[in-house]
Amino acid sequence: MKHYLDLIPISAKIHRKQSMMTRICIVLAVSLITVIFGMADMAVRGQKIQALQKYGGWHAGFESISEEQAALISARPDVVSASWYAVTNYRLDMHYSIGEKETVICGLDESMSDIFPFALEEGRFPAAPNEAIAAASLKRQLGIKAGDTVELKTPDNRSLLFTITGFIRDSSMLNDSDAFGIFLDTDTYRVHFSDITDTADLVYYVCFTPFCNIQKSIHDIQSQFALEDTRVTQNTMLLGLMLQSTDSFMLLLYLTACVLAVLVAAAGVFMIAGSLNSNISKRTEFFGMLRCLGASKKQIKRFVKREALSWCKTAISLGCAVGTLVIWALCNLLKALTPTYFASLPAFGISWIGIIGGILLGIFTVLWAARSPAAKAAKVSPLTAVSGNADTSAPIRKTANTNMLHIDTALGIHHAVGNRKSLFLTAGSFAFSIILFLSFSTFIDFMNHAVNPLKPYAPDLSIFKTDHSSSIPASLAEDLAADPAVKRVYGRSFVFNLPMTTDSGTINTDLISYEDYQLNWAEDMLLEGDMESAANGGGVLTVFHPDNTLTCGSSLTIDTPSGPRQIAVTGVLSSCPFNRSENTEIIICREDLFRELTGQGDYTIIDIQLTPDADDTAVDKIRAAAGSDVLFSDRRMSNSEARGAYYSSAIFVYGFLAVIAFISIFNIMNTVAMSVSARMKQYGAMRAIGMSCRQLQRMVAAETASYTFFGIVIGCACGLPLNRFLFYNLVTFRWGDPWYLPVGALSVILLLVILSVLSAVRAPFRSIRRLSVIDTISAD
Amino acid sequence: MELLQVQNLCKTYGKGETQVEALKQVSFSMEKGEFAAVVGESGSGKSTLLNCIGGLDTPTLGTIRLDGEDLFSMTEDKRTVFRRRNIGFIFQSFHLIAELNVEQNIIFPLLLDYQKPRREQVEEMLEILGLSDRRTHLPSELSGGQQQRTAIGRALITKPMLVLADEPTGNLDSKNSQDVMDLLLKASRHYKQTVLMITHNVSLTSSADRVLHVADGILNEAGGWSR
Repeated sequence: MKHYLDLIPISAKIHRKQSMMTRICIVLAVSLITVIFGMADMAVRGQKIQALQKYGGWHAGFESISEEQAALISARPDVVSASWYAVTNYRLDMHYSIGEKETVICGLDESMSDIFPFALEEGRFPAAPNEAIAAASLKRQLGIKAGDTVELKTPDNRSLLFTITGFIRDSSMLNDSDAFGIFLDTDTYRVHFSDITDTADLVYYVCFTPFCNIQKSIHDIQSQFALEDTRVTQNTMLLGLMLQSTDSFMLLLYLTACVLAVLVAAAGVFMIAGSLNSNISKRTEFFGMLRCLGASKKQIKRFVKREALSWCKTAISLGCAVGTLVIWALCNLLKALTPTYFASLPAFGISWIGIIGGILLGIFTVLWAARSPAAKAAKVSPLTAVSGNADTSAPIRKTANTNMLHIDTALGIHHAVGNRKSLFLTAGSFAFSIILFLSFSTFIDFMNHAVNPLKPYAPDLSIFKTDHSSSIPASLAEDLAADPAVKRVYGRSFVFNLPMTTDSGTINTDLISYEDYQLNWAEDMLLEGDMESAANGGGVLTVFHPDNTLTCGSSLTIDTPSGPRQIAVTGVLSSCPFNRSENTEIIICREDLFRELTGQGDYTIIDIQLTPDADDTAVDKIRAAAGSDVLFSDRRMSNSEARGAYYSSAIFVYGFLAVIAFISIFNIMNTVAMSVSARMKQYGAMRAIGMSCRQLQRMVAAETASYTFFGIVIGCACGLPLNRFLFYNLVTFRWGDPWYLPVGALSVILLLVILSVLSAVRAPFRSIRRLSVIDTISAD
Repeated sequence: MELLQVQNLCKTYGKGETQVEALKQVSFSMEKGEFAAVVGESGSGKSTLLNCIGGLDTPTLGTIRLDGEDLFSMTEDKRTVFRRRNIGFIFQSFHLIAELNVEQNIIFPLLLDYQKPRREQVEEMLEILGLSDRRTHLPSELSGGQQQRTAIGRALITKPMLVLADEPTGNLDSKNSQDVMDLLLKASRHYKQTVLMITHNVSLTSSADRVLHVADGILNEAGGWSR
């Protein structure tokens, strides 16, 4: 031992158990920060992947600029890549077609692949005039190969011939709409489509280096070429994820993220500070003894801080490791749920933001939190330390009220409320759990608005006629059901604008047929009535709308081929997958009844859900079975995107909440344990005087109940306004929904707090039972 | 009349090589109203003896009877209530409850028993202790002597049969030590309470009826002074 600070590792070895709780607190606080920041980092990475796939990697698009201006922009040092891009027949209403299918035509530069990740599956980018690359569906459906020529029919019945040089991956938009897409180089595009493409439709997309101030660069370009705001578009989502957006909604999201980051950091500070305070307070006599031996106040402070830092070495590393493991688990879960969508998300990625955040915050918090106990330890006078009166607890100023309550309850409450600082710290730590949970729970509302989960009835494939007539043979559904690649087939028939008579007059209706699967799914949306009558053909269902006068029991009369027929409304659904036209009520019935009412036996649409192992070959087989005179919507890709978007949000949002819930449970249990442990000596004396275990337990319970009461009051008083503020920023600002009292989230966290408190007092009860009165008293 | 009977009391701590015999076959008895002092060196087993008699520590062997009741044949809960009602404890470090004032600290054992203290009983106790003008003061506002007097009041308020005092003057000056001794003697002489006191201060033993000497866990009668 060469230095007085060398006592730290020696003391640490002996008091390993004493400092255990503090070290666990540091580990948990650091892992909380690592997990939350790391999850946020991974969530941003996941969102970036989605943004790149959905909107592309461009940052700004400039419309109606000249070639010279484009050249000047691309020559800027802050521009990484730039490309022209134009599109014709994007809405599939201009009647450009290949093989009678609507076709989207895009003009772009090869450099566009840097900006929009279209994956060239085969071949090369067009190099000569009248060359094109095509979406892979063209190859699959028409058997076109690289080198073949395709004929594009224009609306004025001209034929344009293009040599296919390669194929790119299909897009969900093309698959959903059963359309083809071809991609030409900008020169070829201008030759054939410049007359029908407004210059405003030619957009010059630019990708800036991420290390520059993108908003400033865009502003510079705008002012250099005098471009109005309407001629500049920004990829708001991507810029937002790069923290480069000035979009007002994005700014509100940044503010929300800052508030939450501060809350998480404060939670860490609270946890470590509380534990460190307790640990140092218990050893004040030791520090007094050091003072007796000649240590200066400065040396004591240095000792306490150095000791706290020595715990950091292992605790912070462990905290970062735990945090990283949790993130890995979540990322792998995400990848397992949507393997193709999040293929580029690293399974074992390191979130430096999370780790650095955890390390910095851990060290900062420990040093900051050690200040107060260090000062307290340094203040102990050597005299009081040696005389055994080094009780550093705050002086008691008010006596307990023993007139109103039993002595045990009165003392318990007084222990909690007698010392305002301790009440604030303990109830504050309880309150913090509530505040954190209420704050993060607003993300559930945000997610439910921003991302739509895939409904159970969402089909992978849909077959329908372009004129939406009920002419798809029902036998096709039966044939398809026998296909091993098909999981479910369900068809629907529609009769639009069908008049029906009610007691109060004639109403306009859209009559829709459901089979068993759809009736089962509809049951989840049943508001009133029963499904049985509709399922056995004895009644019909309607869909709730404030203007819909039909209720359960309403009678409808319809003219059928065999004369007027009366049917009863036997159920009301909260919603359905179809849009309601104004003044037209949706009536749903079983397909047998539909046939009786309308005389139509064929379907308007057949939806198909595939088995997980169904591949493109199986889909092509189904397409062939459906025939060429139908529209064949392949939604597999968009379903996968929707599923990926929902999972990525849900995993992180619920992950945040789970981490907060776990930390809350630990924090409450630790706080109660520390509070009991700090008073153990007093409990021993009380036991010696004649207090029974039961009375001691009641005292601890009263103290904990007081903390819980104040914690809940403070938590709700601060958490609810914060919840409202965040709800406004995340939801009201964008979607206009008014704030509502978060009853669900509040119930969950209050229940969690109460259950944690109940289980937290059980452990001290056990130690009180085991309490050795002699040991505690003779500790003096 | 014998109030306290200690028979063949043994207390062993630890096992194997670290085993320590704190008390070895200790037997003695005390009459009602008797005042006995226990002396001995540090680590001789004095406190262990007191703690066993008070029911705070469980002996390894032997029996302790107080007013005919075997302390260790009772359940833990029953022993707690018995101790609360029949044994008064006085500690060297007072162990007052910081949140309670002088009066509340004194009546604390009665409150634990859910009894309503009688006004005159409390007044009398405060008067005896000389703390009437300090009744609403918190322990932190009292001198060491006043704190110990409060602790004595707390030990006597239930009118226990036996008062156990573990170095009650250890933290006090000579004037306060004498006050404490006077109070304990008064309890013994005036209220016929049996007092067993541990002390290091031999001069204080002169007031005791008997002096018991403990050395290496063995108790010997060291003599005494008649009243």
